[in-house]
This record gives sequence, structure tokens and C-alpha cells, in this order.
Amino acid sequence: MNDPVQKSLDDALAALSLDIEPSRNLWPRIAGDLQRGRRRPHALAFAAAAGIAGACLASALTWAVLHSRPSASTPAVTAKTSTVLTQSVRPTAAQAAVFDEPRNPSYVAARDELQVSFRDRLALLDPATRTKIEASLAVIRDAHEDIRKALASDPASPVLEQLWQSTSRDELDLYDHVVRATQPTMTRT
Amino acid sequence: MGTVQTLKSAGTMDTAVEPTDLITAAARGDLGAFERLYRQFSPRVYGLCLRLTGQREAAEDCTQESFVAAWRALGRFEQRSRFTTWLHSIAVHTVLARRRGLRVEYEVAEPAAGLPEMADPGSDGPPLDLERAITRLPEGARHVLVLVGIYGFSHAEAAQILGIAEGTCKAQLHRARSLLADMLGLETSR
Repeated sequence: MNDPVQKSLDDALAALSLDIEPSRNLWPRIAGDLQRGRRRPHALAFAAAAGIAGACLASALTWAVLHSRPSASTPAVTAKTSTVLTQSVRPTAAQAAVFDEPRNPSYVAARDELQVSFRDRLALLDPATRTKIEASLAVIRDAHEDIRKALASDPASPVLEQLWQSTSRDELDLYDHVVRATQPTMTRT
Repeated sequence: MGTVQTLKSAGTMDTAVEPTDLITAAARGDLGAFERLYRQFSPRVYGLCLRLTGQREAAEDCTQESFVAAWRALGRFEQRSRFTTWLHSIAVHTVLARRRGLRVEYEVAEPAAGLPEMADPGSDGPPLDLERAITRLPEGARHVLVLVGIYGFSHAEAAQILGIAEGTCKAQLHRARSLLADMLGLETSR
């Protein structure tokens, strides 16, 4: 194509407005969709945050009780307390999987607390086990980061969204498993 | 007011300033803030969807779906890129996903079904003709022309979002321009 024609076309394309008003107001339908889809995730989000916070509290309490009261009667009491607390907050990671706002401050704080508990417990494990767990965690985080990058270019992809939630859940599950798996060992001391 | 005038007046809306506070509030669940984002950005998203689909109803559906998807994904928007870039990316993916799901329906539809309804019947000016010509482009060429030639995506961005090679993207743009020149009766020396 010769230059004058190209310039003429480019000028015409540049003259087009980027904005076109829809012929009708689309907001009511959008708002309806958002409110229908929002109610449940919000409730679950707070449940997840509360659940994770509860799990952290349970872990912290169990830890504190075990280490501050090494008497003979302690294990039974501690075990009972731990069971009640963990049963009441059990599905933290599963609930977190449906949580679509990882930047929510409450959620992030609760997750960070769980991570601190995980790190504390991890340090108690033998080096070989610790290495395996850290390797697993690295795999999960790498996958999570890969999916995050993919989501950056395709933010609306439901498949990527599911994978992203899945890796979030996997990471929380790992924390949860380590925290819970180390509890019986401690109650027997 | 005819199509061309309508488009020009819509273009005065200021979308250059990044509404960081609104984005942050909406990401925290503030529906009012999100509505303001919708008011600010929906004309551009709709324009993009309309030119990609060539159909008003499909463009409205895609605009709606894009904003619903954006609301759900806002928690992950890290403000490393511009909000408009991110939102447009969602809109393009929505159009493409819908196109894949409704291939047969789209293929039998009148390709210019969206734009002529807003046309000024008395206007034969180049912009209106150009809009109509764009809707008649083959889909691959039209998508590239709309993204790169009108909405300012880079070839790399358009290629990535369309799932094609960058060279293919450039070739499609060249093809689109040549076809447009033919349709508009411009002399070419290819």
C-alpha cells in the first residue's frame, strides 16, 4: 500500500472515537449479577478468614499450653482443648479455596498468622522431612506464580481462576497439615 | 445527533487519569466505587466489544460479562499495569471466549448488525463508511485492526491476547488495511 493511502487510512482510523455509549444502561444487569454472585463469596470469605484465624489461635493456644504446663495432667486437657478448637475451625483451607479476594486485609493477616505457625512447627521437624516439605511448598508457589502471571494476561479465565484457587488451597493445606501433624507429637511430651 | 457526532462527544470522557482510589475501594468490595468505574470506562469497553463483534447485542452482553469478570478479578489486580489495559484485556478475552462458544450463531448473523443502527442516515462521510467497512473485514484481520489500529495495543500485546504470532499479527494488520483501502475505494499500489 502506498504512503498517501496508508496515511489517509491511519488518519481515518485515528479520527474514530474509542468510546461508544451503549444504547441502554447496562449497569442494572451488571449490579444484579454482582449482588447475586457476591453475597455467598462474602459470607464464605469472612468464614474463611475467621476459620484461619481460629486455626491460628488454636495452634498458638495448644503450643502455649503444651510448653508452659508440662505436668502429667496436661496432655489430656490439651488434647481435648485442641480437638474442640480444631474441630470448630477445621475446614479453613477448603473455605479459603472459594475466597476470591486474597488481598482482603483480614484474610491476608489470618493467612500470614497460619504461615507463622507453620514456620514454627516446621523448625521442629527433622531436616530431611523439612527439606521435603519446603520442596513441596516451592513447587506449589512456583505453580501459583505461573498461574498468577497467566491470569495477568487473561484475568477472566475461569480455568486459570480455578487453578489459582487450587494452588492457594494447596499452600494453605500444606500449612494446615504440618501444623496439625505436629500437634500429637507435642501432646505426648 | 448522528453516529459520528455521537462518537466524537463520547470521546471527550477523561479516561487518562488512573482512578486509583476507586480501584482500591472496588477491590475491597465497594459496589458504589465499582459503579463509578463502570460509568467512566464502559463507553470504551463497549466500543471495543462492538467493533470486535460487529453486533450491538453481543457487544452489550460482552460489556456486561467483562465488568462482572473484572469485579471478580479486581482482588488480583496489582496496579502494575494500567487499569484500562487490564480491563480491555478482560473485554477482549470475553469477546473471544463468547465467539468460540457461539461460532455458528455469529457466522450466520449479519456482520454489520451493530453499527448501522446507530448511523446517521444522512451522513456519507468517511468515518461512517470506515466503521461499516471494518465490520466487513474477515474476523482475524478485524480483530487485529481494532486492537492495534484503533485501540493502540502493541503487536506483542495483540498477538498474545489473540493467541497468534507477532508476525501473523503484523500480516493481519497489513491485510486489514489493504482490504479497507479496497472497500473504501482508495487507490493502492500493492
